Amino acid sequence: MKLLKPSWVNHNGKPIFSVDIHPDGTKFATGGQGEDSGKVVIWNMAPVLREEDEKNENIPKLLCQMDNHLACVNCVRWSNNGLYLASGGDDKLVMVWKRAAFIGPSTVFGSSSKLANVEQWRCVMILRNHTGDVMDVAWSPHDVWLASCSVDNTIVIWNARKFPEIVMTLKGHTGLVKGLTWDPVGKYIASQADDHSLKVWRTMDWQMETNITKPFSECGGTTHVLRLSWSPDGQYLVSAHAMNNSGPTAQIIERDGWKTNMDFVGHRKAVTVVKFNPKIFKKKQKNGSTPKPSCPYCCCAVGSKDRSLSVWLTSLKRPLVVIHDLFDKSIMDITWTLNGLGLLVCSMDGTVAFLDFSQDELGDPLNEEEKNAIHQNIYGKSLAITMESHLSSTIIENPEMLKYQQERQGNQNPNGAQGSGPENQTPKLTNVLNGESLEDIRKNLLKKQVETRTADGRRRITPLCIAQLDTGDFSPALFNSVPILPGSSASTQLTPQISSDSSTANSLGLRPSHDPTTTSPNKTAEENKDSGPAAVNSIGMKSNLLLTSASKMEPMKALDSRFTERSKATPGVTSVPLTIGITPLDRVKDSSSVKEPKVKDETSSDSEDKIMAKPLSMAKRKGEMEGAEVVEKRKKGRPRKDAKMMMPISQPFPQTPVSAEKEPSRLITPVAVLKLPTPSIQKSFSTQVSTDAIAYLEVENEVSVVSGARLSQLKWSRDGREWDTLLTSRITIATGSSDIVAVACEDRTLSVFTTCGRRLIPSIMLPAPLAALHCSGHFVMVLMASATLSVWDVQKQTALVKNESLNPILSGTDATVSQSFLTQQGVAVVSLSNGKTYCFNSSLETWNLIADKQDSLVQCADFRNCLTSQDALGSMGPLALTQGRNLSAGRLASRLSSTPHHLQQGMTLAFLENQLSSALMLLSASEYRHWLLIYARFLVNEGYEMRLRELCQDLLGPVHKSSSSSWEPTVLGLRKRDLLTEVLPVIGQNLRFQRLFTEYQDQLELLRLK
Amino acid sequence: MAKVQVLNVAVLDNPSPFGNPFQFEITFECMEDLPEDLEWKIIYVGSAESEEYDQVLDSVLVGPVPAGRHMFVFQADAPNTGLIPESDAVGVTVVLITCTYRGQEFIRIGYYVNNEYTDPELRENPPVKPNYTQLQRNILASNPRVTRFHINWEATMDKMEDSENVDPAPNTMLPPTSMPSKAQPLGLMPDNSMDCL
Repeated sequence: MKLLKPSWVNHNGKPIFSVDIHPDGTKFATGGQGEDSGKVVIWNMAPVLREEDEKNENIPKLLCQMDNHLACVNCVRWSNNGLYLASGGDDKLVMVWKRAAFIGPSTVFGSSSKLANVEQWRCVMILRNHTGDVMDVAWSPHDVWLASCSVDNTIVIWNARKFPEIVMTLKGHTGLVKGLTWDPVGKYIASQADDHSLKVWRTMDWQMETNITKPFSECGGTTHVLRLSWSPDGQYLVSAHAMNNSGPTAQIIERDGWKTNMDFVGHRKAVTVVKFNPKIFKKKQKNGSTPKPSCPYCCCAVGSKDRSLSVWLTSLKRPLVVIHDLFDKSIMDITWTLNGLGLLVCSMDGTVAFLDFSQDELGDPLNEEEKNAIHQNIYGKSLAITMESHLSSTIIENPEMLKYQQERQGNQNPNGAQGSGPENQTPKLTNVLNGESLEDIRKNLLKKQVETRTADGRRRITPLCIAQLDTGDFSPALFNSVPILPGSSASTQLTPQISSDSSTANSLGLRPSHDPTTTSPNKTAEENKDSGPAAVNSIGMKSNLLLTSASKMEPMKALDSRFTERSKATPGVTSVPLTIGITPLDRVKDSSSVKEPKVKDETSSDSEDKIMAKPLSMAKRKGEMEGAEVVEKRKKGRPRKDAKMMMPISQPFPQTPVSAEKEPSRLITPVAVLKLPTPSIQKSFSTQVSTDAIAYLEVENEVSVVSGARLSQLKWSRDGREWDTLLTSRITIATGSSDIVAVACEDRTLSVFTTCGRRLIPSIMLPAPLAALHCSGHFVMVLMASATLSVWDVQKQTALVKNESLNPILSGTDATVSQSFLTQQGVAVVSLSNGKTYCFNSSLETWNLIADKQDSLVQCADFRNCLTSQDALGSMGPLALTQGRNLSAGRLASRLSSTPHHLQQGMTLAFLENQLSSALMLLSASEYRHWLLIYARFLVNEGYEMRLRELCQDLLGPVHKSSSSSWEPTVLGLRKRDLLTEVLPVIGQNLRFQRLFTEYQDQLELLRLK
Repeated sequence: MAKVQVLNVAVLDNPSPFGNPFQFEITFECMEDLPEDLEWKIIYVGSAESEEYDQVLDSVLVGPVPAGRHMFVFQADAPNTGLIPESDAVGVTVVLITCTYRGQEFIRIGYYVNNEYTDPELRENPPVKPNYTQLQRNILASNPRVTRFHINWEATMDKMEDSENVDPAPNTMLPPTSMPSKAQPLGLMPDNSMDCL
């Protein structure tokens, strides 16, 4: 192990609170206190790693410094893709930085240090929501979310793809929240606070998974930060400051059951920071020795207020190394290089230290494939989508795929799933100089600039715009471009694993308070390359010395104070609103995590159902009462109650008489012939024609009596146009569509008119009284009291469904028909009170179950990660209508978090296939397409190659025409090959399916040429 | 964070005779379109002893300012010599460039200015009454002193929202009588004390 304290990494002696190495290992960021503001500095890594680079003056050390934070910066963190840097500080802000392609190196204007900024990092987003200092920030795996925690006791989850949208504010801590860590699998986020607790939150519904308090009950809130860390295999969470037998420890919490049986002991003061090495290691095989099956292990660095650092391997009982007196003050942050062999530590004393390990010391890091294999073992996930880190090792086999991948990257770049070459991706300042050089412009600027006088005579200069800022830094990238989200796509880059539970348990051979006085077995001599503090200060000093002679120093001092006078005064004025970027939670649509409102929806719809049911039973009772003699007395005695009881019954009647209004007295048990209730006859009523908001139907029964016949009037009006017609019997139901109007009369006749009032067919004599009547397009559906269904196409004058009995769906249940409707395509849909919905398929002549509210598949299917942002809004159509808007994916999945992945996978698959076939059955083309794409994404994500192939084959059809083929080129009016064109890009996202992609892409191309 | 960042100020025509106008070429970057103009001022400090000798050489409105990088030259006449105390005419003084938005100053750039006679004779034996025609003004352009102030970049109504949105929790340590406006600086106290740990 080598140890280095690069003295040039400093904030001019001010404390450094945070350090983080860029994922590409070429640079690192520090955050802390600046002169009179917070400070973020980006440093070059090369001079830290190599002595010759440190000595080479042509290699810059400082790349960029930003003093935009108004107060001390507590945390800096690079996004996993390396494109962004997030910083949080005492000014309550989180800033997100992005590299900008500016015109070259520049200094921070007026900064005392004259060092040029080699790279330009620009603040692209300020996240304002916290009402107190931001203590820690953390990017989720795949940079889907950014979490920040604050002394305001909250944790805010930001949508990293749509800043400044807030996904959720996690409330529950009762003390300052001082540390955050994401589960590398993406299922949880853990936080540690001064309230003596460590909380683990689910990312599925953002509810608390567990609250661990016991190891922290003795802790005092004395540490500035509590940076906890999750092991790269996801199996262990290690807390910062915990206590065991009144000694400071770092508590190990097992993922399995959140058990707290082990801890890291030995530090003499509170542990401020724990950081796991991103790699998993295995024992280095020595030449000649017999290869033993060694267990993989993790490596963890622990920093403490006692100013010492310890590095542990989970395979050893003692620390690998303990370094005392590395700093003068508390350790504040630790970061590992991505290769796992380097470690940077920063301290409150304003210095950083670099530790360089060799593979002999730590072991052989597992490669991605080994990790993936292990990963699958632990979490049962197939890593179907190869993540970026993997792409490099997967060979793209054909140019088409390559082209596609490149296009995809191009599209993604604003959001940057690809970490390489940030230079190419940084937002360009669009040059607007029209080819003139900046120098030319500057020469003539005074003459050329537009100067006007305002109304009150003041000079007004229109500044010359020399560059426009490129907007769209955060244009939401293709949502589905990176398959993300926890629960399903666990991922590779950051999720290394350990082979199996048992082996890790053994390898983590740490015992509770095993050795209270851990000594440093490997106390290493410091190879301090410190070149002395003189060089550091010289820069700041020089600027002062530039001032002329000593005799003139006196007035300057006075002037100096005047410079700073204002700044001293300002703290009082700094109460400036910070609330601009707050987005209301309800705007979070595609985040798919807004659980509660949905649950509420669900219950309210449930209760509606109940209300529906109640009036029925009441009406029934009322009917009985009327039959009895008591009625009159009762009415006298308690008239009010009775009136109340009447209310819910009578209310629905003015509405379209749907089957909800039933005459319960006629409800007969299924043993007898099924009967559906019929609506009662009203003197007059009006309905709105459902498809058309401005068309009304008005019915007035018995308007006049002409020669003994009672005439009823039907009146239709729309946009002031209206017509009326007379019928000889009292009208029970009237309804209409955009094309026709249908009315059913008491005498069991059905009349159909055009929307202009012309009678289309002579009265149809119905075999039984009518229970429900629906129109849609040219279709008329009647549900008769005899529980039979008929559907006609009045344009073609054909019957689609002829007196089909509802027996198959009603018999054997107590259910009643709760709702019925007709789709635009003429498919009759009947919903029952037991939550099941059926449609009648006229070609199969069967009743098909298309929705079931009690279906556990619906409740457990989790396909949220297959939804695109558009999809998340839901589909419109008959299927959605029957299943309800609130069909939220995986609504209950979180409650069944113990459901094994493969089971949920299977449930989701079954559910999606149900949806697809239901949409097909309902002839709902848009919904079919909607579910087809979700289905395809699911198959791709979960790696169902066989099903994917079958799907593609069906969509493609035979390439060569043959008469024997029964393949239909269209489905529900959608061209199948067009659908395939939509599905292929989804497949192309996964390099694993590149052959499948190529195969069908080629065939499609071939067909297109024909 | 400030919506306007001053990227550079180039001092033009420097050094120059005392009577020449001041010229500063200012480059700044704006994060988003500003609905209102920026107001720039050049202030000449006549005497280090007192602000009463400060002269606002000129103030200028700069706008409209869309998001992007902009530059302009701010030219202002030399100070009125009649307002400068004779004892302070020669020697080091200061010129300030300030910028305000919605009446709030968010940046103050100060330069040391050395006024000297070019003639060695005069330098040795300066006249009691300063000879301004012989004075040379040298602005120490390489060493600007920049002070940035945190201001409210939004319209004033946000200020109210802010105080409304302050979570009650951080203020619980305060006596109930304290006003929300006072709460913030006080609320910062515990954090500052934490720094000492």
